[in-house]
Amino acid sequence: MIFKKNIPAFTKGLVTENQHLKNEYYKIVINAPPIAEIAQPGQFVMLSKWKIKELLLKRPFSFYEIEPDRDNFSLLYKKVGKGTAIMSELKPGEYIELIGPLGNGFVIPENVKNIAVVARGIGVVPMLSLVKQGRKENKGIYSFLSASKNELLLGNDIMESLSVNTFYTTDDGSKGLPGNVTMFLEDLLGKIPDVIDAVYTCGSKRLARHIRELQKKYHFHAYISLEERMGCGIGSCKGCVIQTKHGYQRVCKEGPVFPLEEVVLDE
Amino acid sequence: MNKGTDLKIKLNSLFLKNPVMPASGTFDVRDTILNKKQLSSLGAIVTKSISLEKRTGNPGPRIWETDGGMLNAVGIPSKGFEEFKEKELPLLKEANDTIIVSIVGNSNEDFCNLAGKLDQIEAISALEINLSCPNLNDGLHFGINTVVMAKLINNIKKSTQKVIIAKLSPNVSDITEMALAAEQAGADIITIANTLVGMAIDIENQKPRLGNKVGGLSGPAIRPIVVRMIWETSKVVKIPIIGVGGITCAEDALEMFLAGASAIQIGSANFSSPLVMFDVIEGIKEYLRRKNYSSIKDIVGIL
Repeated sequence: MIFKKNIPAFTKGLVTENQHLKNEYYKIVINAPPIAEIAQPGQFVMLSKWKIKELLLKRPFSFYEIEPDRDNFSLLYKKVGKGTAIMSELKPGEYIELIGPLGNGFVIPENVKNIAVVARGIGVVPMLSLVKQGRKENKGIYSFLSASKNELLLGNDIMESLSVNTFYTTDDGSKGLPGNVTMFLEDLLGKIPDVIDAVYTCGSKRLARHIRELQKKYHFHAYISLEERMGCGIGSCKGCVIQTKHGYQRVCKEGPVFPLEEVVLDE
Repeated sequence: MNKGTDLKIKLNSLFLKNPVMPASGTFDVRDTILNKKQLSSLGAIVTKSISLEKRTGNPGPRIWETDGGMLNAVGIPSKGFEEFKEKELPLLKEANDTIIVSIVGNSNEDFCNLAGKLDQIEAISALEINLSCPNLNDGLHFGINTVVMAKLINNIKKSTQKVIIAKLSPNVSDITEMALAAEQAGADIITIANTLVGMAIDIENQKPRLGNKVGGLSGPAIRPIVVRMIWETSKVVKIPIIGVGGITCAEDALEMFLAGASAIQIGSANFSSPLVMFDVIEGIKEYLRRKNYSSIKDIVGIL
């Protein structure tokens, strides 16, 4: 029924930190109890700090860190347009408007021992809370991180600290090896075929296609968090669809996390 | 309710407890985060357009934000009549006692068959005809040709006893011609207006922003156009007008009432703020009080 529990909240959030990390990347910490209490890794919020007449739509952001005991969550974002430019100017003590938590987050199946996360650049964002959740459930974490260059690797120190092993690739070879990040995953699976039970990735369909090929060979669970232009974030506008084996599905409602094998990855 | 805040209004034979409702396609009872009390306090609920058979809608991207608005090319996905009846209708009945079902079709037959089926459902108060769809039979667009549109409305009127609302396309040279044609064909109410056709281009990749290349522009940017269309139309038709296009607050809505609308719909602003419709209701009440009007009816079309 519509009047269900754990319904997303339309609420104000208090900015407690807004830190410029590097280049165009920022991390914002927000205090919003109704959201932080129930947020799950892989879910997202819709956020605005503007009047509808200034910018019509809220912007979607995946949770980076979730701290229910402090009623906080953080978002890691790249300043790319008008909305994120306004966000980058926010000061602690200011309020923003939020809808969340939204969508379906990551699932860690019960029988899983080790998980791999494969992320490029800002695609690492939804992975950190997943990895923390995985550690809580005593899963071994293997991280495969890539970026065009070393300075565009995000959150890699903390990811590395939580992982059994972390593999890096950068396009220019400034950290780890140049090439595809999935080649390390392939190497690992080639050496110890059953080591990874579930693979998680975000955003890039190119990465996802590589993982899908490996999945066919090694039969692990695989999940992808997708993004698409969103109108409402709650399912009403039907704007953010992707093509799946079951037809068009909404990233905001049926996603943003989908079983990899259900997503149509052709360009 | 005290005397200064009477928002009740009758649009032809359609009674509304207040004149504020969501615009079709911007609100879905299956996905709303509003609670039961909030849902029931809306003037009506207008569904997304439903079609007789399942429609998949357009490939993505379906949405692109523009200055002061947004383009959408969602393409009217619909689960079809049977699923609507089984899954959505029970929720609608629970949510509000005035249900307006938006209908769409690819031919006169499609529309009429659907209207005939909906006619059997007592809980439905009115049908809003989404005219912004090409007629696949003769290749003409229902909403931009007076003859094609009038024939459709006339046929639908024969298929159902329900109140018929014609949602006009603004993509015409003279909205009053369309409105008069709709009135003469038997429409009980007209909605002004649907989205304006627009386009945005990604100059780096040199491609359209939308999967469908072109889409409908909505949001604050189109409001002055719609206000003008309501004002022009209210001078020439006798049937009531529902205004829609870019309302984000009570002040925006009041412009439309003064121009001649008897009720209003809120569209893309719902995406940003699920509570905007309630803010508008409160703001209208406050205005009536401040200006010493006893009823919303007193300000309709005073310009």
